[in-house]
Amino acid sequence: MDRKVLLIGFVLLLVVSLVACGPSATETPATEEAGAAETAPPEGAGPGGISLRMWAHQNPAFNAGYQALIEAYQSAHPDVTIALETFDYDTYIQTLQTAMPAGEEADIIQLFGTWTSEYAGRLAPAPEDVMTVEEAQDLFYAAPIGGFIVDGVLYGLPQEFNMEYGGVLVNKTLYEQAGLPYPPQWETMEDVLRDAQALVQTDETGMMTVAGFHFTASDPASFSFLAGILQHGGDYWNADHTGFTFNTPEARATLEWMVSAVEEWGVVDPVLFNDEENWVGQAFFESRVAIGYIGAWAIAEGRANYPDFPDEWDYFYLPPMVEGSDPLFVADSGWGLAVSPNSQHQDVAWDFVKFVAANVDNARQWNIASGTIPAIPEVAESDEIAAAMPWVPRALEILPYGRYLGSMPDRDLVIYEIVYPHILNTLQGVETVDEALEAIDAEANATFE
Amino acid sequence: MRHPTLRPVRRNSGRTASQRRFVLGVTFPTILYAAAFSLLPIVWALALMFFEYSPGRAGGAILGLGGDNPFVGLEHFRNMVVGMSREARLFRVSLRNTLVFAFAVLPLNLAITLPLAALIESVRGRLKTAFRAIYFLPAVTSSVGVAMMWGFIYDPQKGLLNAVIRLIGGTPIAWLSDPRTKFLGISVALWAVIAAYLWQDFGYNLVIFIAALQGIPHEFKEAAMVDGASPLQVFLKITVPLLRPTLLFVCVMTMLSSFQVFDIIQVMTDGGPNYQTHVLVLDIYNNAFRYQRMGWAAAGSFVLTVVVMLITIFQMRLLRTEWEY
Repeated sequence: MDRKVLLIGFVLLLVVSLVACGPSATETPATEEAGAAETAPPEGAGPGGISLRMWAHQNPAFNAGYQALIEAYQSAHPDVTIALETFDYDTYIQTLQTAMPAGEEADIIQLFGTWTSEYAGRLAPAPEDVMTVEEAQDLFYAAPIGGFIVDGVLYGLPQEFNMEYGGVLVNKTLYEQAGLPYPPQWETMEDVLRDAQALVQTDETGMMTVAGFHFTASDPASFSFLAGILQHGGDYWNADHTGFTFNTPEARATLEWMVSAVEEWGVVDPVLFNDEENWVGQAFFESRVAIGYIGAWAIAEGRANYPDFPDEWDYFYLPPMVEGSDPLFVADSGWGLAVSPNSQHQDVAWDFVKFVAANVDNARQWNIASGTIPAIPEVAESDEIAAAMPWVPRALEILPYGRYLGSMPDRDLVIYEIVYPHILNTLQGVETVDEALEAIDAEANATFE
Repeated sequence: MRHPTLRPVRRNSGRTASQRRFVLGVTFPTILYAAAFSLLPIVWALALMFFEYSPGRAGGAILGLGGDNPFVGLEHFRNMVVGMSREARLFRVSLRNTLVFAFAVLPLNLAITLPLAALIESVRGRLKTAFRAIYFLPAVTSSVGVAMMWGFIYDPQKGLLNAVIRLIGGTPIAWLSDPRTKFLGISVALWAVIAAYLWQDFGYNLVIFIAALQGIPHEFKEAAMVDGASPLQVFLKITVPLLRPTLLFVCVMTMLSSFQVFDIIQVMTDGGPNYQTHVLVLDIYNNAFRYQRMGWAAAGSFVLTVVVMLITIFQMRLLRTEWEY
């Protein structure tokens, strides 16, 4: 008898656990969920109110910007309560990947636009009364909105122009110590390398202690590589965007330029300055990098993390990698907001998303708080942005040359585990340019299988 | 028709009904816990290794298996052996690194802990307790903390190790980030991680050896001394052979924990430089939780289990004893 009870209990536990752990086998269309939301009583709402959850990755500047807008929205809509829940970056990705199949994600989801194609089946399409695809394309820059449109459907609204190409932190104090004119007068990349060469510092054993031009972290190395391909007149996508073309003369010319910056100009030691060692966003604010190649998002983060950094510094944009070329570049779609199809209050969630991302005043407020380049041209060109973020007007000349990176099966895998490691290997001297290009081409194309 | 006397006799446990209910009551929560958090994941992993499964895909009607998460049979294992894809090559690199790591850690650990245990055992009084506590302290320290501390020691520009090297006129190196430096054909970064791991881990074995040394009857050693054996001969000919059961336990446990190394490597190098410290559990973790390739990760876990099992069986056959004292 007891054994039977034990056995039954055990079997029940296994069955319940298997059902609980498994993903839902059928997807409920977003429209049906929305319809249900209209009739069903609000779940988890306070008395007569609506409670929404919002997920975002942990970034003090970003999260402060969200919190301010949540409070503004709640003031305007006293019946709505929005709880912001944040996760560190790696945990956030894992949480999205496990919670979304189980239908347990928050109502409002902060999403990196380039990831949208991976999650599109589990996101609520934007209702037409919120915004149509055409309206979104008119409102936002092409690169940021590009990622949120999958197969002609709009799945979210961008908040930033995630520009990893071209922007550099420049340490004025180190410039003055080296006797170089400041602000830098760069016409070509050779001017940048010449300054950087003069800014390098080494110790008595020859070990580099200050990098002149740190471009060897994952984002700058990868996005310079992609920009270089475009500026040389090539492309890393095949004609119908079903595969990559990395083993090309344009890619070779770009990678060879990077190798020459390391080996001939000696502006950075890629063994000592890379993603794992002396990451640019940290090393710059510890006076170990003179010119640090990184997106403008690092400015707010640096100010928050290094409030006592004594050196004077500013943010500038590099000339085109290829002399005489337009500053063509590619950009991720950047951070934005999307809505869960499982939310019982999709209408309210979309209203909040529009309030944050499409309202010009609110978008401006968030961009200033987070230190990010606006996704809306009207915001980027505003006087308030110019006053709060003087580097943004400098970016305005090149922003129109930005193209969306393109929807990849796994963007992080391609950029961070394939393109970047092989570039770094080449710069560190453990792979030749040809070996690296062959490997990038083969491995990146294998991600489509 | 079965003869009544041949019917199997049900053994009476000798417990009353209330005793059996009590046993059931106190063991049931533990059984449930083990079933939910040990048995179920094992069963699930055994099933997943035959599928190209990603939780991000909806898949078939039964637990998401099938459909977009297709059945692939033994394809993952075939790829691990002969595949040329990135993940197949990384798997083989991680298996090789794990074997190098484990087979370097074990002898180094024994070479440090056994003589040290004998030395500490020879010390009298409170000093023995103090030594034991000092050497055991790293073992109870957080792995992440240990990894960060050693990261500072190995820092190429500001680290303690390079400061000492500079002081004696040597050339500092990038211990954890230079893929070009090797020692005995093994990456310096892997050696650096092994050193940090040994520092943290050797306290366990030290305590076990000290306890085992205390259990060896003094008569054996005294008899050898009377026969004219030197202290070294006593240690090598008497103490070490009598420690064989303990050696077996220590070897098996050290090998097991070495194959499972993860946290210290993830924090110190994240598998770099150029995958030279990329070990099997890190590979499994990356595939499962970064890239959501749960089927591949489950197959990798199975291979890890088989490898560890084979090595454990080999160790048990090599070091087993049929005597006690």
